[in-house]
Amino acid sequence: MNEDDDRILVRRCRQGERAACELLLGRYQKPVFNAALRLLRNPEDAKDVAQTAFLKAFEHLADYDPKFKFYSWIYRIAVNEALNVLGSRKPFGELSGEEADEAPGPERRVEGEQVSKAIEEALMSIKPELRTAIVLRHTLHLSYRDMSDVLELPEKTVKSRLYDARQLLRDRLLQRGIL
Amino acid sequence: MADPHYMGLINVEIDGELDASQRAELARCLLADPQAQALRGQMRRLAQLLDGMGEVEPPETLRDAVLAALPQSYAKRTGLLSPAWRVAAVLAGVVVAGALLFETVKGPGPASGALSGTILAQTTTMVDSVSLGEGAVSGRVSLYRDRAQLTLRFEVLSRAPVDVVIASGAHTLRVKGLGGPDKSGGAAGSTVPLPDFEMHGQPVDLTFVMDGRPVGKATLRAPAGP
Repeated sequence: MNEDDDRILVRRCRQGERAACELLLGRYQKPVFNAALRLLRNPEDAKDVAQTAFLKAFEHLADYDPKFKFYSWIYRIAVNEALNVLGSRKPFGELSGEEADEAPGPERRVEGEQVSKAIEEALMSIKPELRTAIVLRHTLHLSYRDMSDVLELPEKTVKSRLYDARQLLRDRLLQRGIL
Repeated sequence: MADPHYMGLINVEIDGELDASQRAELARCLLADPQAQALRGQMRRLAQLLDGMGEVEPPETLRDAVLAALPQSYAKRTGLLSPAWRVAAVLAGVVVAGALLFETVKGPGPASGALSGTILAQTTTMVDSVSLGEGAVSGRVSLYRDRAQLTLRFEVLSRAPVDVVIASGAHTLRVKGLGGPDKSGGAAGSTVPLPDFEMHGQPVDLTFVMDGRPVGKATLRAPAGP
């Protein structure tokens, strides 16, 4: 994404140019939706989060500080929306009966699509703030610096969350025979 | 359990942010410790799996829903209709209508009657846009789609009128007499339909020519599919 082009589009969008808003939406709807999907693992919720995030962004464009990258801002809004949705779900760590039944033993090996499913399940089993770090790094491919901007946290904290998340995922996927 | 320090270095390596001294330190650790090697292999594999989780296209309804719910302030205004652009559009409409001449270099070009006005239809959607910087030619060029047709919108300033060679796939089109000095408080806007240009995600290359010499280039990308 070209940051200068984003700044120009944001300026034109602030002036009320609908086409500029459409272009920003076209650029970022896919990463925003995919990030929400990874965080929530529900396409309908992900769509709602992405929709709300864009509408909030366009409604509050006057509050956007151009010293930050536009994508950091829209990702921050989307992540916060997704975390709100997660907060309204059942408490973390409470598995449904179906999910609990599916948990395989240490000897079980899975392949292909099952690997993806296992990764998604492992992701959903860790705390939302750790999952967010994984999504920012591995779905949105952000640098430590950009992750720090999105999460409004020091880089040190961002790294710590990312490393802790990977450690937990490694342990869970080792248990399932995937690593 | 691996030494947290080395675990940190393995993570930094995965993220591509190791500096030279960290790289050397990690290399020494890996040489000396087979367990660290195994751990590094697992972490790299994990990162590959996470990176390899496919992306999906958002539902079509997302875009429509956002656009339909945009605040009223975006409902009808476009940049071309803001006060500054309204003046520029009126002047450009008069000037451009007389000055533009299409010359098909290769492949069919639009009939002269196909040159549209300066304001795009409400059904058009911007698919790409590029800033021309601050060189001999400045301003912006945007590519729009209206159903199955592409249209270029030029908002160009230059010290003298420029020709633009538009090339995409087998089609080349030359548009004469765009831009010119800023006399109206904004760049002159003009719209060029591209009726035979295809939509396969291909580049649309623009070359700006002034006094017979190329003075700038820009590339936009057509959408993949109508």
